[in-house]
Amino acid sequence: MIRITALGLSLLVAAPAHAGDVGIRVVDASGAPLADAVVTIHPAAGVFSGPIRFPWKLAMVQRNISFEPSTLIVPAGATVPFPNEDKVRHHVYSFSKPARFEIKLFGRDETRSYTFKSPGAVALGCNIHDRMAGFIKVVDTPFAMKTDADGMSIIRSVTGGRARLTVWHPRMRARDNEVTFDIDVPASGDLTRRIQVALR
Amino acid sequence: MIALLRRGDAALRGSLSTKLTLFYAALFALAAALILLGAKVGITAYAERMVASEMDAGAQVFDRVATMRYAQLRDAGRVLAADFGFREAAATNDAPTIASALESLKGRLRLDQAFLVGTDGSVTGFAGDLPPDDAEALRSALDRGASAGVLRLGHARFNAAAASVDTPMTIGWLVLGNRVDHRELAALSKLSAIDLAPRIVDAGSVVPITGNRGETFVAGQRMLTRAVPIASFRQNDPQTLVLTYSMTRALAAYAPMLWLLLGCGIAGVAVAAAGSWLLARRLTLPIRALDAAARKVAEGNYAQVPVETRDELGNLAATFNRMVDEIGERERQITHMALHDALTGLANRTLLDDHLARALLQTGDRRQALFCLDLDNFKAVNDTLGHPTGDGLLCVIADRLRTFAGDGLVARLGGDEFAMLVDDIHRSFDRSAAELVQLIAKPCTVDGHRIVPGTSVGIAILGADGADPIELSKNADLALYRAKQEGRGGFRFFEPRMDAEAQKRRQMELDLHDAIRLGQLSLMFQPLFNLSESRISAFEALLRWHHPVRGLISPVDFIPLAEDTGLIVPIGEWVIREACRVASAWPKHVRIAVNVSPVQFSHAGLKSVILQALGETGLAPNRLELEITESLFIENPEATLASLHSLRGLGVRVALDDFGTGYSSLSYLRSFPFDKIKIDRSFIIDLLKSDGATAIIRSITTLAEALGMETTAEGVESAGQLDILREQGCSQIQGYYFSKPIPEKSVFQLLYEGEGLARLAS
Repeated sequence: MIRITALGLSLLVAAPAHAGDVGIRVVDASGAPLADAVVTIHPAAGVFSGPIRFPWKLAMVQRNISFEPSTLIVPAGATVPFPNEDKVRHHVYSFSKPARFEIKLFGRDETRSYTFKSPGAVALGCNIHDRMAGFIKVVDTPFAMKTDADGMSIIRSVTGGRARLTVWHPRMRARDNEVTFDIDVPASGDLTRRIQVALR
Repeated sequence: MIALLRRGDAALRGSLSTKLTLFYAALFALAAALILLGAKVGITAYAERMVASEMDAGAQVFDRVATMRYAQLRDAGRVLAADFGFREAAATNDAPTIASALESLKGRLRLDQAFLVGTDGSVTGFAGDLPPDDAEALRSALDRGASAGVLRLGHARFNAAAASVDTPMTIGWLVLGNRVDHRELAALSKLSAIDLAPRIVDAGSVVPITGNRGETFVAGQRMLTRAVPIASFRQNDPQTLVLTYSMTRALAAYAPMLWLLLGCGIAGVAVAAAGSWLLARRLTLPIRALDAAARKVAEGNYAQVPVETRDELGNLAATFNRMVDEIGERERQITHMALHDALTGLANRTLLDDHLARALLQTGDRRQALFCLDLDNFKAVNDTLGHPTGDGLLCVIADRLRTFAGDGLVARLGGDEFAMLVDDIHRSFDRSAAELVQLIAKPCTVDGHRIVPGTSVGIAILGADGADPIELSKNADLALYRAKQEGRGGFRFFEPRMDAEAQKRRQMELDLHDAIRLGQLSLMFQPLFNLSESRISAFEALLRWHHPVRGLISPVDFIPLAEDTGLIVPIGEWVIREACRVASAWPKHVRIAVNVSPVQFSHAGLKSVILQALGETGLAPNRLELEITESLFIENPEATLASLHSLRGLGVRVALDDFGTGYSSLSYLRSFPFDKIKIDRSFIIDLLKSDGATAIIRSITTLAEALGMETTAEGVESAGQLDILREQGCSQIQGYYFSKPIPEKSVFQLLYEGEGLARLAS
């Protein structure tokens, strides 16, 4: 059950043409803001072919017997280190299609890493600690952002025109845990949307 | 026999003990029935409660067992689902590995089902065919978090539990299940005390039952049904555990108890009946004894009942005995009163008859005789000295008789009549009778009056003179009658002749009744010749009875009878009328004289009869002359005088008849002025034989003359007599010498011829 509601359907007619900010607010069925949902936009016009950089650190730390951050967005082809800051051992694994691997980590081992080649969602677990769960969303677009505690994610300077909006969350009740919309990103100005998703 | 049975039946119905027995038996039966009913109701309620609680327990057991099974299944599932290798196989869709792992698990845990459901709806390792709808429904349920419960897939039901396969995101669910089949349910049903026939059905298929409990009737059995919602694996496919128990069967288990109770009840009724019967018998036995005794008393027998207890019944028995004694005493008194004379205490006629009857039945050498006696002149004693003295005399006589009789029976038959039974063992009947007459005749003093009693005795011998008491009494009376006739102070034995005479007398009495009506009576007239006037001065009317069979009957024979029977009153009346009628035709100087019997004289109607006769015939009163005898004065002189004066008041003449016989007292002559004195014929007959007779005649005529009375001499039969009478101054004569009585039709002739006769006589 996905509904898209235009919040401020106004095109922000601003100076730099061809690009605008897209603000997406994700809420659950009850209207509560949903944090750590991954919002990605694929403009129909395509993206530039250079290496994608995100402003956050590309590392999945094990600290206090949990993955940190719990959800990490990385560009395809990125090599992500798995530093273990706990004194206990971890046995990180992934059976997810985009990246299947196991990393046995001993205490204070910061040497291990894995290179994620294909885009997709990779669920991380620890074979020792069942409670531990972490996600690495491998994306092939620079327009990707996690929602904050308010369920908000603002993706800046998105190429105008038709685009595919995808919202992913590990608990989303949907195929592959994601929903996709077609949106028209205004050439100038901002697009703000509220997206309500159903969770498990 | 039938009557006996009927009586027995009536006794049974009517008997108090039967009533009491039936009552208490019925009471106890009612109580037993109530207990039985209560037991049945209680048992039913208890059984229902028991079944209900068993069902509660059954449902709980099912719940717990299921929970336990689910926990086991889930745990087993979790173990496998957590296995890294299995997870890897699941995540990589390594179907052969998954299937082998599931088979291994099934084998190890003896599971019917162990399969994997992917989040995408794929099913791996399901034993058998899973319809796509069910697969999707299952996935959907798992997706919603279903973890355990009864899982229906197709027609089969499973106890199923699921464990998610997390990598770490859930990629599927491992579902483990055991078939819920008959075996399983049977095993489950064994866990409860009674077979609740548990079965699991779709909730929708359960017939709506009020609450979660209900009753149905299946094949005549009352079924208690409980529908318990149970954990369903798929929430949208609710399952219900249905528990059923036959109350009929449950109650059947109590049937022996109820039968036993019924048996005890029946035995109790029998015991109560027997007990109350015994108790009632203890009560009714004395009552029956009383009843029997009362019956005996009613029949006139003496009866007493034993006093056995000191309770009310004992008191009743004692009172009854007292009552019987008192009744007996009173009966004896009454019997004594009934059989004895109150005044003298002697036996009465009833008792005498009784004794006679008994004595007549006795056979043997002993002869017995019935003595009947009465007192001479007792009436005079009563009249002159008063009844108390008369009663006193009777008591004296009674004592004498009692002394005389010894053991023999003495009875007072009424008035001055007595009777006694005498035997001739010590002395002959003659001697006894003579001694008895002597004994009675002894003078005695009663109330200061010296009295010389006298008696006559009539004797009838038992058997010879009568075979029954009535005949004996009658014959003894006849003998007595004869004895009195022959002069008082004597005794006579009965002779059959007496009976014949009595019969004759009775017949004559009957005939006399008819005599007036049939005109058999007639009057003859005998003239009275006045010597100084030398003519007939009067006729005396003399009654004649021409009996159709016996011819002419003398007044001597029938007048006493007429006096005894009272017939003298109508006869006397007829005589007066007839005499007046005849005399009315005669010359004025000729009177008619009529005899008035003492009975007739004391009869109240005499005066009116005379008045009527005079009135009817027109006869002058002074031509009617009434002749009375001096015996009238003996019984009641005052009344006689009053009557005489009254008659004289009518103007009729009164003559004193038969003067000189009986008690002839000169005081009569002084107390009443008779018109005439008739000198009795006995003096006239003696006239020619002794000089004394002449002297008596002279004194009478002198006395009469002095008192101003006429004299008539009766029975003059010869001239010699006539001469003397004429010499002595007798005023009239009457007799055959002058004329015998003549019929009416000859009177006139005699009157004329009489003139001549008179001349001849003078």
